Amino acid sequence: MSDDKTPDTPSEEELAGMSRAELTRLGMKLDGVELIEYPDPWPVKGTRAEKRAERAVAFWFVLSGVAGLASVVAFIWWPSKYVAPGDDGYFLYSLYTPVLGVTLGGAVLAIGIGVLMYTRRFIPHEIAVQDRHDGGSKDLDKKTIVAQFADFGHSTTIARRSMIKRSLGFGGGVLGLALTVVPLGALLRNPHAQSDNKNGLLHTGWQHTSDEKVYLRRDTGDPSEVVLVKPEDLDSGSMETVFPFRKSEEEDEEALSAALLRSDNPVMLIRLRPEDAVRVVKHAGQEDFNYADFYAYTKICSHLGCPTSLYEQRTNRILCPCHQSQFDALQYAKPVFGPATRKLAQLPITVDEETGYFIATGDFIEPVGPAYWERRS
Amino acid sequence: MTKKRRARTKFQRRLAGLLALAIALLGIGTLYSFLVPEPQTAQAQEDPAVVRQGEALYNNTCITCHGANLEGVQGRGPSLVGIGEAAVFFQTSTGRMPAMMQGAQAQEKPPVLSPEEVDAVAAFVQSNGGGVQMPEESGKELLGDNPARGGQLFRLNCASCHNFTGRGGALSSGKRAPALDGASEDEMYAAMLSGPQSMPRFSERQLSPDEKKDIISYVKSVTDGNNNPGGDSLGGLGPQSEGLIGFIVGIAALLGITLWIGAKQ
Repeated sequence: MSDDKTPDTPSEEELAGMSRAELTRLGMKLDGVELIEYPDPWPVKGTRAEKRAERAVAFWFVLSGVAGLASVVAFIWWPSKYVAPGDDGYFLYSLYTPVLGVTLGGAVLAIGIGVLMYTRRFIPHEIAVQDRHDGGSKDLDKKTIVAQFADFGHSTTIARRSMIKRSLGFGGGVLGLALTVVPLGALLRNPHAQSDNKNGLLHTGWQHTSDEKVYLRRDTGDPSEVVLVKPEDLDSGSMETVFPFRKSEEEDEEALSAALLRSDNPVMLIRLRPEDAVRVVKHAGQEDFNYADFYAYTKICSHLGCPTSLYEQRTNRILCPCHQSQFDALQYAKPVFGPATRKLAQLPITVDEETGYFIATGDFIEPVGPAYWERRS
Repeated sequence: MTKKRRARTKFQRRLAGLLALAIALLGIGTLYSFLVPEPQTAQAQEDPAVVRQGEALYNNTCITCHGANLEGVQGRGPSLVGIGEAAVFFQTSTGRMPAMMQGAQAQEKPPVLSPEEVDAVAAFVQSNGGGVQMPEESGKELLGDNPARGGQLFRLNCASCHNFTGRGGALSSGKRAPALDGASEDEMYAAMLSGPQSMPRFSERQLSPDEKKDIISYVKSVTDGNNNPGGDSLGGLGPQSEGLIGFIVGIAALLGITLWIGAKQ
């Protein structure tokens, strides 16, 4: 941009003779900035106030260092091993996290305060003025810049080379399309291409893929521990969350753990009270899905897939905590309240005659969980 | 050998057989008496005087709703036959029973019966139809040594209703799962065994005694003001309240620091 008031550029000799302060002012002036006020915060050097300010800044930096050291020491030596409330040493243990937080956080805070104090006490608070331009660019500037662009088109001959332009348009367009296909294409999937697979929407981890029996397994908190469920394990009016287990997975820790973690696997095994069991109404086609008073329903809510594991043993209602849907365990877990519109899928179970453990006789006969486009029911 | 055996008379053989049978039966009986554990019986149950005292208490405090023979009264209270002493212990020692009014569920309140009276009524109910009994241990003995496993089991079996730090929650039609603050070890064990009100029951085969103790140990470690090293549990509801407080306090602090940075010396 053209400048109206170019400051007088000093000659070589003048430059050589200038002090640091003068050079600073000159540099700013060349950028169109004028220093109005540039006070030295401590005009008289070596006063007690200045020394005090210096010590204050140093204090915060040292404090930061001490706090940082303390956090390292606490990290290594503070008792961090779990102590139950009421046992000896619980108080110290309970302070482990707060001590780490206070010391490390304090170190960060103190170094920040130190830097800020230094800025406030020792860096000059100058007042500088810079003139701004008024109005638009001048006619001269406008005309020359337009001419420059036009000259660019002319001298590169791009204006009359339509073959190059079209081929570039083709190449660039296809490249752009290719770049959109990658992220968009990943979103387009046919969820039913593998519907018969146990990973498809129609099936869960309970699907029988071979002749192997699928047992009902309990989660004991240790994924590698396999505990199967027997009818006598449950008192009447009780509920247990069970997961599928196959004998072939016994040594496969990964598969054992995966069975517990898979989201559509959890099943509520409910043992009704005998006086309630006589009032059960079964759904057509599911008459033989239960075993005596034992009914197995999926834990996945048919509304939006939350775990519906709030089982009230007196009213036999199954509650979903997310949107307060309620299902009646006495009537094939049909929804009786709330936004859910479909029953919970029921798992067909029986007791294995050889081992006495519960087994699933098949997968759910309908998809578990929330609706999707092609779902028929 | 064979000659000797042939020499025996028919009578001798019979006698020997009978003797062998008698010895075998005696042996099995002795072995049985050694192997089969003593049934868990409350001491009160063995004392007819306590049972009679319990009956008297029952007739004064419970009979209106539960009937003269524990058979229950239609529209007032359920039958108590076969519920067991654990259920009586839980309901009366937490003050839920005797109930003062009908409602969505019995309210907990300061217990009406003294501990001795609770034991007496429990012994009386236990003597009528049996049912689940309290473990032999009590109090601190019911604290397991693996609260971490207890926490996992709690989140799997209990947290859906009681919240993951035992803060309780809502159930259907005005019922609710209570917060677990202040619940004693015995009460928690009795609740798991007997399944009071809406709560499902957890038999000793479903959750072993050790697992129950671990769960109690976990609950004890997160309730009654424990597990809040920050000084306040902020409701114990998880990231919502913590995030809100963190946001408000943090933003206020940042605002203060910003003002301090910009303030004129």
